[in-house]
Amino acid sequence: MTFVNMERIEKHFNNNVVLKDVSLQMNRGEIVSIIGPSGSGKSTFLRCLGQLETIDGGAITVDGVELVSTDTNGVVKYADKQTMHDLLLRMGMVFQSFNLFPHMTVLENIMVAPRMVKGMKDTDIMPIAERLLNKVGLWEKRDMYPSRLSGGQQQRVAIARALAMNPEIMLFDEPTSALDPELTGEVLKTIKQLTDDRMTMIIVTHEMNFAREVSDRVIFMADGIIQEEGAPEQLFTNPQSPRTKAFLDNML
Amino acid sequence: MLDYLLQIIPTIADGLKVTIALFCVVWVLSIPGGIILALLRLSKLPVVDKIVEAFVYLMRGTPLMLQILFMYFALPIMTDGAIQMDDSTAAVVTFVLNYAAYLCEIFRGGIQSIPRGQYEGAKVLGFTYGQTMRTIILPQMFKRVLPPLANETINLLKDTSLVYVLAMNDILRITKSIVQRDFDISAFLVAAIFYLIFTFILTNIFNYLEKRFSVYDE
Repeated sequence: MTFVNMERIEKHFNNNVVLKDVSLQMNRGEIVSIIGPSGSGKSTFLRCLGQLETIDGGAITVDGVELVSTDTNGVVKYADKQTMHDLLLRMGMVFQSFNLFPHMTVLENIMVAPRMVKGMKDTDIMPIAERLLNKVGLWEKRDMYPSRLSGGQQQRVAIARALAMNPEIMLFDEPTSALDPELTGEVLKTIKQLTDDRMTMIIVTHEMNFAREVSDRVIFMADGIIQEEGAPEQLFTNPQSPRTKAFLDNML
Repeated sequence: MLDYLLQIIPTIADGLKVTIALFCVVWVLSIPGGIILALLRLSKLPVVDKIVEAFVYLMRGTPLMLQILFMYFALPIMTDGAIQMDDSTAAVVTFVLNYAAYLCEIFRGGIQSIPRGQYEGAKVLGFTYGQTMRTIILPQMFKRVLPPLANETINLLKDTSLVYVLAMNDILRITKSIVQRDFDISAFLVAAIFYLIFTFILTNIFNYLEKRFSVYDE
């Protein structure tokens, strides 16, 4: 059964059409990478699923629960507040700019959402925080403020923070694009660990080799539409669309 | 000379009580007032924003002295006695409205300076608007607005002297009456020193707060 179903998504900012008719069906545990040139709409597409953008047409369903749909008259209708909130909690999101809370220590960054949003007790969150910070290799930095950490370390904290809410789907929005080249490796390694756990993931990225290595499926987007999608080997070694081929020739 | 000073200092110190009481009450009320106004000003409803904007314009566009006189003398007449406040109530209400308006703009600027990513980070973690404001945005805002907030706080301390027009016995009014009584200007110096000491304490409190907040960078 389809776990994530995004159907014919349309999105425009004023008169600028960013997404025209983009669809994505995913199974549970599937890992999909979205690649494409800047301004292709790939981040916007991801943000529509993460409820950071509202769509102007199409439908989104997660695990059979409808987030938004469009009727035959073209009227977009979102689910009620509670349903939207419940769906949001099933997703974790990691941003290009980390978006850690600078006024909280690493440990506080991890604990604040489970405490405030889920109402969990600190004594129950602590073991989770410890496990996750150990997983990303930053337990010993727990009392530091984010500004004291390198970009790579900050992004690993951000990943741990998202995981602390126990999401079913992880959304990565260009997680290494703001990092110095020597720091991307540690973040990619952390994400790769999650792929070993077979978590459902959508990764918007410019790291071609990484996308090729971890994904079950790769989507190439340009000009607000999916130009081509397929298994990584096929898409990277034998791209069908000339647009894909030109992009890959440029990147590799 | 010393005898004279020792004699007038306790009298002036009595005025200090009025000044401090007014200062504290107004400060404690106008901070939340300013935050609420700032949040309303940032509301998605244009009507709400416009109403608050008009209020801020009114408060910033007329002299505080005029506002005090209006509140105490004009309002009872205009409302046929329906709204009639004693001097200290009228003073507190006027000061709070005036300072909340100024603080509103300081807080609004501070809130708007927080990057959008902070809202998005909170949103995807499931924070409600209230939780986002309380735990993420406002604490960071306070760090950013501390210097202008210190300015307004010190201004408030000195502005409290305007209540002499309502015949409230604050430092300045008592001082003035001593000078007129004794034909000796020493009382003015004493009053100045009282204000300076108070300002010195406030400055240090704000320096301490800035240091406390500097444990993190952005």
